[in-house]
Amino acid sequence: MSGPAHPAEPGGGDRGGILDREGALAKLLIAPAVIYIAAMIGAPFVLAILYSLSDATTGDPGLRLVGVQNFQAALSDPVFRLALRNTFVFTLVSQSIVIVLSRVLANALLKPFRGKWLVRFLIMLPWTAPISLGTIGWLWMFDSIFSPIDWVLRYLGMLGTASALFGANTNMYWLGVPGLAMASVILVNVWRILPLATVIQLGGLSSIPKDLIEAAEVDGATPWRRTLMITIPLTLPIVSIAFLFGVVFTFTDLVVVYVLTRGGPVHMTQVLSSWTFFKGIEAGDLAQGAAISLFMFPVLAVAAIFILRMARRTEVV
Amino acid sequence: MAKRRLVTRREFMKAAGLGVVAAGVAPTIFIPRYAHGASKELKILVWSHFVPRFDKEWYDTFAKQWGEANGINVTVDHIGLAEIPSRTAAEVSAGQGHDLIEWIAPPSQFEPSVLDLSDVVKEAEKRYGKQHPLCRRSSYNPNTKKFYCFCPGWTIDPGSYRKSLWEKAGKKGGPEVWEDLITFGGKIKKEQGIQLGIGLSQELDSNMAARALLWSYDTSIQDAKENVVLNNPKTVEATAYMARLFKESMVPEVFAWSAVSNNQALIAGRASYILNSISAYRSAQKEVPEIAKDIFFTPALKGPRGTGFSSEHVIYSYLVPKKAKNIENAKKFLLNLVGNYDQAMYYSELYNSPAFFDAPIPSGSRGYAPVNGARKLRDLHNAWFSNDPFALPDEEKGKLAVLKDAEKWSTNIGHPGPANPAEGEVFATFVLPNMLANAARGMKPETAVEQAELLTKTIFAKWRKKKMIGGKA
Repeated sequence: MSGPAHPAEPGGGDRGGILDREGALAKLLIAPAVIYIAAMIGAPFVLAILYSLSDATTGDPGLRLVGVQNFQAALSDPVFRLALRNTFVFTLVSQSIVIVLSRVLANALLKPFRGKWLVRFLIMLPWTAPISLGTIGWLWMFDSIFSPIDWVLRYLGMLGTASALFGANTNMYWLGVPGLAMASVILVNVWRILPLATVIQLGGLSSIPKDLIEAAEVDGATPWRRTLMITIPLTLPIVSIAFLFGVVFTFTDLVVVYVLTRGGPVHMTQVLSSWTFFKGIEAGDLAQGAAISLFMFPVLAVAAIFILRMARRTEVV
Repeated sequence: MAKRRLVTRREFMKAAGLGVVAAGVAPTIFIPRYAHGASKELKILVWSHFVPRFDKEWYDTFAKQWGEANGINVTVDHIGLAEIPSRTAAEVSAGQGHDLIEWIAPPSQFEPSVLDLSDVVKEAEKRYGKQHPLCRRSSYNPNTKKFYCFCPGWTIDPGSYRKSLWEKAGKKGGPEVWEDLITFGGKIKKEQGIQLGIGLSQELDSNMAARALLWSYDTSIQDAKENVVLNNPKTVEATAYMARLFKESMVPEVFAWSAVSNNQALIAGRASYILNSISAYRSAQKEVPEIAKDIFFTPALKGPRGTGFSSEHVIYSYLVPKKAKNIENAKKFLLNLVGNYDQAMYYSELYNSPAFFDAPIPSGSRGYAPVNGARKLRDLHNAWFSNDPFALPDEEKGKLAVLKDAEKWSTNIGHPGPANPAEGEVFATFVLPNMLANAARGMKPETAVEQAELLTKTIFAKWRKKKMIGGKA
């Protein structure tokens, strides 16, 4: 026998119902994140667009719209064009190196060996240290007078004598010669991004089912074949995520270039983010700085879309 | 057995909400607020001085004591040199922050957002005599007729040379003209293996050195009326000179020159000559006395036609944002700072020079040994540079005497015109050091100058459009 029905009394039986409704509660819980993103990312982004269309300066941040003048001025500036080129070189070269090295490191870390935890700890260290502090350390490594790298080269007879491999100068002047300066900022960036990429790759490699590898071994597949046919295809989505994360970090990075070279010598290591800072803040042309920074947006937007797609594909896998 | 009561989701959310509200409201209940309008505050933002004892032993205490004597709570915050532009921009944009912000370069681009301090300059000149023209040109916009900042002092930028090296090369008294840096500096590099260090890099000292060279070659970025005049045969001559100088006397370290390179190279014994304030020498006195004893000074080097100018190394510039809350206190503090500049000179170990040389020395104990017959800052300046109170015990006397008339061979960024935002942007985007560096790296001097002119003209046109500088397009 069924019991009596108890219909809910209107307005009285479901007090505080918002907390009991899954949909409403979900919205409530996600609200702080949405507000945070809107306030910390959305608002500055909209402001950057408005500034880029105005004649604002640091001393007069009022918005008087001037159309696309700032974008035209940026495009006609030879330093901007050089910075744009340098940004791509800096990003793509350093990320290509990061992907190769992180794969090597991840493979090595998959194997059991004594002191593995120490090696892992040391690899993670650059990621945990403040970037500016680490870069200042590198600044001393590349110092024009006291560089320990130069000291080692001199000690090995590779520098400082007429017959030395790297010439008769007492120092390499890492940050004073354009090619070496670019190589130096790339090296430091690789050092900084490598831990993250290694951890991501390690996760990808660990997720490959062992029986698949074992089956391939039983079938007589060589290590190269196993890598090409199993490891790479199965880890491609996660490697792509590591690559794209690295691209986003590097493309927007100011610290490495600012601390090491300030964009020099003669703008040969200038990148968009550092040029934005020099033009927009140091020189006071806020509008021009905003316009330069917005040139980064298309690349970052494409990278973000790819990251999200890859992440979704990884979920399916 | 008592059943353990679980917290429901609703109860958790209520408790969490209450907690958040309480955390937000509590500070407003327990932390008393200052009454609006009662100006008993003064917030000052200053750079961390290159001479640490200036801040520690003098400035902070001086500001606090002045506040106590006037019933004003003074807060002094120090920040690194590199952070000043971004911090100022943030405070101006937010419309809140400090009442006084100190720059060490002319902050002319902030003119629309800062107070015109003409009244402070007028009062200071009434009390302390004429402000030095170099300081005036670094703080006054002749087009708008406004003092966008107040300049109480500046820093001299002499040449420093290693006497023993130059003596051995046959030039005992050090270089006198720019050409000496090639003739004798080149000889020192070739025979004694020590290069000279004049930055050709994207930083402060390289910018000043580039300007000193151009001015001494009778050329400049702008003329007195703020017209761009960079591309002319004299600039090409100066640029070609720098290419020769690099080849004969320097090494590629100058392309990576930074704010610490002068000190570092001199102290390491790896520079026969540098262009810098006396801070490099002071550091050497503390760290490597033997090197310090060998460091001597030159005034601005002369160019081919006998002109010799050096850039001020630092120009102390206080601005007051229009939205500052304690404007009157800020103005009073500035006047008091000028009145006590003898202590600024002393505690900076003569790094700071006064803008008001005729200001009287206050009576009473001043924290330094009294100087006989000294009544004005000018007397102290002459006496201290003749007989350096910070010289090492067995150091040669009168080494700094050449700095006594530094104001005659020192000038402002923008010379022969005033400092302005266009000059500031040319400075901040390293146009001149890169022009010289390009030539040093093999570019034709004419091409290097043309490229620099293109950038300069674009910058000047932009600021002229905003009506913040004079001159013609």
